[in-house]
Parts: sequence; C-alpha cells; structure tokens
Amino acid sequence: MSSADRVSSRQLVLLLAPALVLVLLLFGGGFAYSVLQSLGWQPLIGRTTLSLDAYHNLLFAPAYQEVFWSGLIFSLWVSTASTLLSAVLAVLIALLIHQAVQRSQLWSFLFQFNLPVPHLVAAIGMLFLLSQSGLVSRGTAALGLTTTPADFPVLVRDTSGIGIIIAYVWKEMPFIGVIVFGVLKSLNASVVQAARNLGANGWQRFRYIILPLIAPSLLSSSLIVFAFTFGAYEIPALLGVRYPRALPVTALFLFNDADLNSRTEAMALSVLITLVTSMVIGGYLWLRGIAQRLG
Amino acid sequence: MRFKVWLMVIMISLFTRVAFAQESLEAPPGFASWDDVLSQANGQTVNWYLYGGSDAINGFVDTFYAPLLAEEYGITLNRVPVADTVDAVNQVLSEAEAGVAENSGAVDLIWINGENFFTLQQANLLYGPWAKTIPNSVLVDWDNPAINLDFGRPVDGYESPWSSAQFHFIYDSARIAEANLPRSFAELTAWIQANPGRFTYIAPGPGGYMGTRFVKQIFFELSGGQDQWLGDFNPTLYNGWAPQVWALLNDWSADLWRQGATYPANENEMRDLFANSEVDFAFTQEISGASVYINDGRLPETARAFAFTENMIGDFNYVAIPANAAHKAAALVLANLILQPNLQAAQVLPENGFGLGFGIDVSRVTETSDRLVLEESAANLGAGAADPAELAAALVSDLAAEYQTRVEADWEAYVLRR
Repeated sequence: MSSADRVSSRQLVLLLAPALVLVLLLFGGGFAYSVLQSLGWQPLIGRTTLSLDAYHNLLFAPAYQEVFWSGLIFSLWVSTASTLLSAVLAVLIALLIHQAVQRSQLWSFLFQFNLPVPHLVAAIGMLFLLSQSGLVSRGTAALGLTTTPADFPVLVRDTSGIGIIIAYVWKEMPFIGVIVFGVLKSLNASVVQAARNLGANGWQRFRYIILPLIAPSLLSSSLIVFAFTFGAYEIPALLGVRYPRALPVTALFLFNDADLNSRTEAMALSVLITLVTSMVIGGYLWLRGIAQRLG
Repeated sequence: MRFKVWLMVIMISLFTRVAFAQESLEAPPGFASWDDVLSQANGQTVNWYLYGGSDAINGFVDTFYAPLLAEEYGITLNRVPVADTVDAVNQVLSEAEAGVAENSGAVDLIWINGENFFTLQQANLLYGPWAKTIPNSVLVDWDNPAINLDFGRPVDGYESPWSSAQFHFIYDSARIAEANLPRSFAELTAWIQANPGRFTYIAPGPGGYMGTRFVKQIFFELSGGQDQWLGDFNPTLYNGWAPQVWALLNDWSADLWRQGATYPANENEMRDLFANSEVDFAFTQEISGASVYINDGRLPETARAFAFTENMIGDFNYVAIPANAAHKAAALVLANLILQPNLQAAQVLPENGFGLGFGIDVSRVTETSDRLVLEESAANLGAGAADPAELAAALVSDLAAEYQTRVEADWEAYVLRR
C-alpha cells in the first residue's frame, strides 16, 4: 500500500462515523436503557429508585435462582456444542468442496443455500421433520420400523437441547463455511503444492499450512455464532422444553409477565446475557493479544 | 348463499336496533352523548389489535364487522394481527414510555384477557370507564361476577365483553367410546394409569393459561367444591391443598406423554399432538368444541367434545381501549357493534370460524326476531360441540389472579423441576 492510499486517523473516524453513530445510538442507547430498567427504573408504575435487587434476585432468590443457573448451564451447553459442531463441520465440508470437488458451483451452492433461511423457519422445519409425529417418524412408521409416534426417538423438544443444536448447526455451519471457503479460495495453491512436494501428508498440510491461514476468520466467525446462539430466542423457544430452558426464553417470559415489576428482572437477565457474551469475546481478544505478543 | 342470508338478517335487525336509542345511559368519558361518539367516529379508522393466529377468526372479523362498520358508521376497520395479545400491550407501554402524546397512540382497541388487562391497569393506561355507556351494554349481564370480574379483578367499566368460553375436552369418538370417557379427575387418574403415554396437559405458565385452569380444577375437585375458593386469595386454603395436587400430578407423570419430561406449551401444540394421535385428549375453550377444526380439516370428522360433570371453569373475554388511543369514538362504536344480537348469533356458529360463545345474556334481548336467531345459533354448534346442558351443569367461575401466579410458579417448582 502506498502512502497516498493510507487514510489519516481523522479520515478513518469520519468514514466510520455513519456506522458508529448507528451502532452507538441503536445498540448503545437500547443497552443503556436496559441497564437503567434492570436497576429498577419503571416510572410507569411509579418506581424510580435504583438498586441491584433484580440481579441479586436472579442469582440468589429461591423464586429465580434455579431457573437462572440451570438456564445458564443449558445456554452455555447449547451454544458451545452448536458452535464447535458448526465450526468442525464447516471446515471439513469447505475443504472437501475446495479440494475434492474442484470448487464446483453446484456443491458450494448446496452448501450455502440455507444462509438466507430465517431461524424461525429453520426451527419450524425441524419440528415438522423431526418431531415424534413428524415427517421422518411417518417415514419410519411406513417402513415398519416404528409403530406409534412414541417409538420414534425424542429429537426436538428434548431435555438436553439436541433439537436446538441440530437447528443451529444446520443454520450456522454454512455461515462459518462461507467465510472459511472465501479464505480457501484466496489461498495460494502453490504453497500447498510446495508442501506436498516436500513430503507433507494431508494432515500435515492441513495442520501447518491451511489451519493457520483460516484460523483468524474461523475463530471470529465462530465467536459470532456463539454470541448469536447464546442470545437468540426463537429456536430455543420453539424447539426447547419448558425446563431447563435457555436464558433468552426466560428473559422474554419475565418481560411479558402480567406483573410489570418482573420487567426489572427481565432486563437484568438480558444484561447478564450480554455480559456473558462480552466476556467470551473479551477472552478471545485477550488470548489473541497474548498469542500475537508471543509471535 | 349462507353469507347473503346473514347479511339480510343483519340489515333487518339494524333497522330495529336504531329505534333502540337509549335515554338513560351516560355518555362515554370525553363525549357529550352517544350521537357525539357516532359523529366523531364517522371517517375514522379503528386500529383493532387482536390475536391473529387463527385464519378463521381473522376471516370472521373481516367478513362480519368490517363491511358493517364501513356502511353504517363510515368507519374503516384496520385489523392488526398480533402473535400474542401481550404484543399489543407492549406497544401501548412503549408508547407511554416514549412519551407519545395523548390521543395519538397506534392502538385503538385490544382483544384482551385478564392478565393483560391487569398489566395495563397496573400502568394506568386504559381509557374509561366506558363499558356501561355503550348502547348494547344493556344486553350484558353486568351483575354476573363472571362478567364484572376478570380473573378475579373488578372490570369497573374499563373493558367490555365480546364472547364467552368454557374449559372442556376434545376426544376422538373413533378412538374412545363416549361411555368410557373420564368424567372427573378421579376417573381421569384411572384412565391415565390404564393408558400410559396417551395423556398430557398444557404446562401452566406463559401462553398456557388453559393448563393453569386445568390444574385449578383439580384443586376444586380434591377440596370438594369451588365455592370456598371464591373471593380474595386465601393462602391457608391454597397451601392446604397444593401439596396434594402436586402429589397427584407427580403420580401421573410416569404415565403421561413423554413421561412428563415436557408438556405442550399452549392449546395449539396440544391439539397438534391430539391430531397426530400422540395423545387422546385436547383441551378447548370454544363453545363449538371441535367443530371449527373439523370444518377446516385440522381434526378428524369423528372428533367430539365433552365436559367433566363438575368444575369446568368458564369466563368471558373482552375488548379494551388504551388511554392514548387516537380513535376512541370508532373504538367505542366497534365495541358496541360486536355485542349486537345478530352478530353475537353469528359468532357462535362453527362455520363462521370464531367458535366462542355469547358475550351477551340472551334473556336480556327483547326483540323476538333477535331472540330467535340467537336461539337457533345455540342449537347449531355442530357435531363437534359438547352438549350445552353438560357444559352449563359443570360451569364454575375463575378465581382471583393470585391463584394463577401461585399455581404457575409452584407447578414449575414442584412438578416440572421435581
């Protein structure tokens, strides 16, 4: 890059300003208001004194704590499992398409076609497909493998979140895949070829050449998936059970409670969800910083 | 054809209704008289927020109310479908938080239930009292506690009834003979033990008020009657019976659908389980029972409805006007229109898709032709409806709102998470 192309930091701020204003106003404004409400700000019902009661209630009060802690574990499990599975499968399939199928347009289309499908539609699709009286179950019944709906394994609305994870993997795998695929496409084929000539086997070529190149985009896209799945509502609401239930579902339950006082806990829970996601992203940035310092 | 006949009936009775102009009713707050309401309403668009998840109900509103509003009152009906009534409530709350000015809110009328009524009353965001000022309010039995209390809370003129509902069951006569139906919770317990995996109930909680109602009815039966539960929340009474109810439900769970690991969240999920033959009963609130769903093909022709011999909770549902509504006049006219006898007669007929019961008291209708239409409707609820006498015999009213909150929280703690 020549110095003429380089933008000054002032220019950079100006160029980023429209996007930043939008983010700060819409996200920052909304978040600040949530924090305020989580502290008990409810002028509509005459509550204007601020306290940390709602946070204390969620973490320790008998009425909330079991739902909170079980929900936290459930949400962490679902998001971690969905993210890891999506990432591993995305890399595998992206490599397969990239190498074995010679960048076939058809295969890459098939791999990515569900990107624009809304999560809500994905969830309802899974329900139709995998529930005990769903399409697959009817197929197995027609083949004589099962006789009643109850014979079919519980894949959606199950207590361990399998249905939610399946739906997330189906949706997020192509998202990570499309990013990894993009890096693979721009990869200089001669580097891999050189390694092959020097006697590196498939695993070594992946481990020492391809993985380091795709790692930054793989990690950042996985983080986006983790943050999204941890905070998203619709798939766990449709494919989950009442207990244990994901934190965002509980947050909306509380928000929509007939008693407006519950909104304080709803907002506190939303803030806690944001906090967990921020901690994961902060942890990643910190580790990356260390890794970079270590060279 | 049927529709034309209805239009004729509606037109004829409209002429008779005009002569009814009441003298003794007070004017709604902010208006000089009912005529003032009518003249201000002319040319307005009324934004009616109501649950939009049923094509049949949407069709009923568009077919029966919209043309009449336009032709007779010069009002345009804008039906705003919401996934859950709480969405409409949140709209009103957000407008209040954002400081939207008086008389410029987006919501003019809400089809509302007890919980959401409580929420808006808590924030003092409802217009009123107006329910006894609309002309057709004379047809409403305001002395009936099932009407003047909503989930145990005084209505005080801040909402006006639309229709009625009563908890009962749907079954498939091709699967179970009528003679073998359980008619009490004791018989249901025996049925569940004899048919493992074939029964479930709606989880009491958000979206699952019918499940809450189901559990409340167990309290009534175990404690030997509903009378003692009326009035304010009685913690001693509740705490005395609650452990027995949770023990019964826990005894059931091994023989329930999915061994009680999970429960359907609302009546639609439960009806789907029933339609897919995963379970043998569904809950309904509709006076026409299974008829509406037989008509639209979602339940088999052999689906029927039945009630236990006692303790089946019935109640009314209402419409309310937010305090910041932009078109209160048109909302009042619409709230009055839906109580008109011929339209009340139309709403119970299963082929019209609404399927809920009368909001008015038929005995208060003085016009003979109207009476006939109402009685004829009541006699034509379809093969999927339960015997009205059976329902009437089992009818009890709902309880103070605190019971709902307690039942939902305790069921989750002592049955679901056990």
